[in-house]
Amino acid sequence: MSESPAARLAADVGGTFTDVAAFDETKGELRLGKTLTTPAKLVTGIENGVAKAGSRFDAARLFLHGTTVAINTILERSGAKCALLTTQGFRDIYEIGRVNRPESYNLFFRRHSPLIERDLRFDISERIDAQGAVLIKLDEAQVLRVATDAVARGVEAIAILFLHSYRNPAHEQRAKQIIEAAFPQLFVTASHELSQEYREFERTSTAAANAYVGPRVRQYLTEMESQLEAARFGGNFLIVQSSGGLFDAADARRSCIRMLESGPAAGVIGTQALCASIGMRNAIAFDMGGTTAKAGVIYNGDVLMTGNALIGGYATGLPIQMPMIDIQEVGTGGGSIARVELGNALRVGPESAGAAPGPVCYGLGGTEPTITDANLVLGRLGAERFLGGEMQLDVESARRALSERVAAPLGMDVVEAAEGILRIATTKMAHVVRWVTTERGLDAADFALVAYGGAGPLHVAAVARELQIATVVIPRAPGHFSAYGMLVADLRRDFVNTWFKPLAEASFDEMEALYVEMETRGRATVTRGQATLTGTTRRRAADMRYVGQEHAVTVDLPLELFHAQDRDGIKRLFDAVHQTRYGFSVATEKAEIVSLRSATVGEMKKPPFEHIAKGQAAPDAAAKRGSRPVYFAGAGFVDTPTFQRSALKAGNRIDGPALIEEHASTTVVQLGDQLEVDAFGDLIITINRN
Amino acid sequence: MDTPTAARVNPVVTEVVRNGLVAVTEEMKINLMRTAYNMIIYEALDFTVGIFDAQGNTVSIGLGLPMFIRGMSDTVKAKLAHFGADKLEPGDILLTNDAYITGSHLNHMTFTVPIFDEGTLVGFSCCMAHWPDVGGTLMEGTTDIFSEGLQMPIVKIFRKGEPNEELIAIIKNNVRLPERAMGDFRAQIAAVRTGERRFLDLIRKYGREEVLGGIAAIMDQSEALARARVRDMPDGVYEAESFMDDDGVNVGQRVPIKVRVTITGDRMTVDLTDVSKQVQGFYNSGITAGRSCCQVAFKCLTSALELPINDGAFRALDIVLPPGRVVSAEKPAAMRMWMCYPMTIVDTIFKALAPALPEQVIAGHHADLVVGRINGRRPKDNSFYIYLGGLIGGGWGAKHDSDGQNATIAMNDGDTHNGPSEQVEAKYPLLVERYCLRPDSGGAGRFRGGLGTEQVVQARHPIRFSSQMDRVKCKPWGLNGGLSGFGNGVALHRFGKSEEVSFFNGKALNQVLQVGDAYILRSGGGGGYGSPLARDLTALERDVRCGYITRDSAQTHYGVVFRGGTLEIDTDATQARRAQMHAQGLPHDQPIAEPLAPIPAAHVHEHNAEHDKLTEEERVALAMQCRCCS
Repeated sequence: MSESPAARLAADVGGTFTDVAAFDETKGELRLGKTLTTPAKLVTGIENGVAKAGSRFDAARLFLHGTTVAINTILERSGAKCALLTTQGFRDIYEIGRVNRPESYNLFFRRHSPLIERDLRFDISERIDAQGAVLIKLDEAQVLRVATDAVARGVEAIAILFLHSYRNPAHEQRAKQIIEAAFPQLFVTASHELSQEYREFERTSTAAANAYVGPRVRQYLTEMESQLEAARFGGNFLIVQSSGGLFDAADARRSCIRMLESGPAAGVIGTQALCASIGMRNAIAFDMGGTTAKAGVIYNGDVLMTGNALIGGYATGLPIQMPMIDIQEVGTGGGSIARVELGNALRVGPESAGAAPGPVCYGLGGTEPTITDANLVLGRLGAERFLGGEMQLDVESARRALSERVAAPLGMDVVEAAEGILRIATTKMAHVVRWVTTERGLDAADFALVAYGGAGPLHVAAVARELQIATVVIPRAPGHFSAYGMLVADLRRDFVNTWFKPLAEASFDEMEALYVEMETRGRATVTRGQATLTGTTRRRAADMRYVGQEHAVTVDLPLELFHAQDRDGIKRLFDAVHQTRYGFSVATEKAEIVSLRSATVGEMKKPPFEHIAKGQAAPDAAAKRGSRPVYFAGAGFVDTPTFQRSALKAGNRIDGPALIEEHASTTVVQLGDQLEVDAFGDLIITINRN
Repeated sequence: MDTPTAARVNPVVTEVVRNGLVAVTEEMKINLMRTAYNMIIYEALDFTVGIFDAQGNTVSIGLGLPMFIRGMSDTVKAKLAHFGADKLEPGDILLTNDAYITGSHLNHMTFTVPIFDEGTLVGFSCCMAHWPDVGGTLMEGTTDIFSEGLQMPIVKIFRKGEPNEELIAIIKNNVRLPERAMGDFRAQIAAVRTGERRFLDLIRKYGREEVLGGIAAIMDQSEALARARVRDMPDGVYEAESFMDDDGVNVGQRVPIKVRVTITGDRMTVDLTDVSKQVQGFYNSGITAGRSCCQVAFKCLTSALELPINDGAFRALDIVLPPGRVVSAEKPAAMRMWMCYPMTIVDTIFKALAPALPEQVIAGHHADLVVGRINGRRPKDNSFYIYLGGLIGGGWGAKHDSDGQNATIAMNDGDTHNGPSEQVEAKYPLLVERYCLRPDSGGAGRFRGGLGTEQVVQARHPIRFSSQMDRVKCKPWGLNGGLSGFGNGVALHRFGKSEEVSFFNGKALNQVLQVGDAYILRSGGGGGYGSPLARDLTALERDVRCGYITRDSAQTHYGVVFRGGTLEIDTDATQARRAQMHAQGLPHDQPIAEPLAPIPAAHVHEHNAEHDKLTEEERVALAMQCRCCS
């Protein structure tokens, strides 16, 4: 290893596995490692992965990290004891929420369950109105009294939500100041620091979640830093946010909630970089693992974002209101269970056999047939080649379970049942892939599908066919793709500021001032301590709607529009977005602004994509691993050649049917489809759409 | 066209079609929500979208108003009967808001597109949505349909793709906010066309026979599931009675709701013959709504989470409902508050079945949307606005194994959201002073009823306010020894006064609020389940610590004995006290509250010159602080 540290490391730490990607800048080489997560001391697992990837912490100048610590703290309900301070009269807003009953006919429906109990939610005498005017002054003595009481009751963190703080944060700021002055060790979070958008329940929930995960995340980061230090890491430590951008540990300590979905977000960022490298503008990132399939969108080279999400599902989830990558998911993964229900209805998922007991074929006690079992019975998975041969799969048990639990009750044969299960899974996943495009008025058929996650490459061709998608891409190491995505991420800071204003009355000076304020803060954040930036860019957008409408759409606004003070130009862009998304627009109707959005990006030097060795059209003999019968709908079992991915070379072409095997994944090339290996080693499959 | 049959279809195709149909209606719903111009559609989700077969039977309806579960299918069938299938053409869009067809009020504009595949009618796409204004009086207390607004009979609002501008002009001329109305109009057109396009996509992808056969199979599956569930229910005839407070015209005169449910083998019959005759006030609904009551209760008991919602699920249900009842009202009955009584009918069906199905039913809920209707002019530009306030959620009944839910929207609505206070205050010159839970409002029980809520809203300029709630006196009932929850309520608080003005029957019509006055909406709690003396003490400790139950109520209703002045429960003393209460037949339940005060006369504004000297902000703050202390 060279004297000057020149490696950048990325680690995606999940519940079971830690994925590491290491890029050696001197050699221009990317290497990967997958190891078991070591919960007691995560750095150990990461170090193992780094070693497996042939690198060392003391040789790295950058460590990029994705972690499930924040989301698991919420899902497992293992966060800190917190208190909530709210405006007088709104103590219950966190519990009342939006009063909806998504499971409308379920008499046993349970609503969201707040992270802070009612006896630790306190009314504070203060009031600001929608214009930002102070109606009732903050009762500072009460703030101190309440905080003192809460601390005495063992509270480790306090969240503050005052009404209209997006418009005037003075009371929230002052309350926070008072509490921090009295209790410097306490984790205190005020809603406006995380979200400057209206909707008090969503902002409360965001602030409460931040307080709830805060102490644990802070401790996690502190431990991580000291362990990194012990490993003689001397570079920058950055964490991936749900927006796909990176932030530093200091920022992450305060806005913990921003790292909620770091792993999935990194995969979409990786897809974006992949698209850029191979000249694709539009693609859907398709990530299929053991329990879910997820989809995110790259449109015109940009990642599509959303302003909020419900953590824990639509019906009972807790809202988080902040910019993040729009990732939708469906409960269909390798472990999804197939069941015959009353009336001979065949259902696949969302129940999952998970990792334990897992599919029947794992032989770990699973009894209900899963998607993985169906793949095995149909020959798509090799019983001897699972996880590079580390795990032997039991075909007979899988076949028996399918036969007894699905085929027999439905009067089908086993193969028909297995194929049916995959077909149902395919259409369910196709719906979620289509959903991320149609919700924006886009057509999935105009996009390429980039598949990763352990199960993505097995199913992607069928999903593409269902959606009339022409091109599928399997990146290198699809099982490590999130870690790879971290290597190509940039630093990023997003702001949203609710600012109700008819477009016709919106002053450009005022808008400029609001944007510049956000951009100044954004720039200060992304450039802090970062010697490695190649530049910063700022992006502006506004949430807009027709006057009278409730829902706003986000419109990207090029800076030139502001330089030229081009009000009509803004209106035209809004009309166009509305037209695309909803099928109509009204040029004569007035528009209004709801919120201004700003993103500041601190650009990092990206690892260049590595070229692989060139080959002929025909793969080398060394790449061929024999053949086995694989079932394809309409053709039955076909003797299908199998290839070892690591032995394929750029320019190789393979006609379907074929299987491409690698350590943690198998790519299915269907009959009629064609695969080509590109210069970087990606598998590009052209789907036969006829 | 051959009638599609389920027999030809394989289970895999059926499941693929099923997922496809759910996705179609989901997309219709999202398109409508995001393009709608009014909060009632976007936030309150007061709409329903769906796909129907060529005979008008429900194939899939998206989440919307549960109590509109029949409304669209019956409206599609009426439209089909009106024109005849041979007079429908591609590009037609059929519209009506006829209250006696939709079974509801005139606000429910219902658009339908007949779907043609290569010239053959294969189904319908339909969308009902609530328009905030369809004309009619703002003076609220109507007694016939003619004062409730524009009545659009069944018409082709689009003919072969061409809009009928004359009809559109009639609509515009009859509503107070034509631009908003046209915004919602466009959104609904976009939604039904989305349904049409996506349904045809399914047919193109999987084949017409496969899709229609799949639909037939889905309906058969739903039927089989429902029949199996009914078969598990003990045969018998089950009856229950409940009451509405009054119809707003005949004040204080209770309206009886009597239901009879018969279970025989795998069939359930719900007989609503003995439900009250139609009433003078505007609480009537059409026969479609009466049938919806039965179907909603049936779905809750047989297949609550099954999708898509389709008519196969209801083949095992028979409904007896003669015309002229309050939920099968005939013209010209007033219908504006159509949604109110059906919710109590659904609860009464559960009440009837409680002895037979103790582990499947739920105690009574607050059964009212608890809305306030506000109109006024914005001081800054004198523009007129209508605001549908309230929808604050209330308490739901307890069940055999769990407490009722707090602050949850009533049965009529499903995925309805309340309006964020910050949004309300940004849009209207109103100030939400308080929005909180009502301690003790949930009926006591081994499992406690959910808590109702209270919302206090101050007028920052003169407004007109109306609220017509019910179930104020006739409270949500408990089951199996559980007690009643609090009823709903509406009150005014005049600026500077020490007392509230409350409306004992929940009808506050046409009240003028001056600056600094506030209206107060209170939703009831849910009924309890099982004796309160059997409630777990750990749960009670938390109830009291968190303030869901007051110390006082814990003592009176639950027999709790606290140690000294603490909130610590003395277990032994509590057990002794509970035994004693049990022997005395305590605690008492009071299912129907007696009226405490006469209805206040229409408001005459008393001018207080002192208040004119205050700035607006001083006045707002002063008003609010008075009430905070109360």
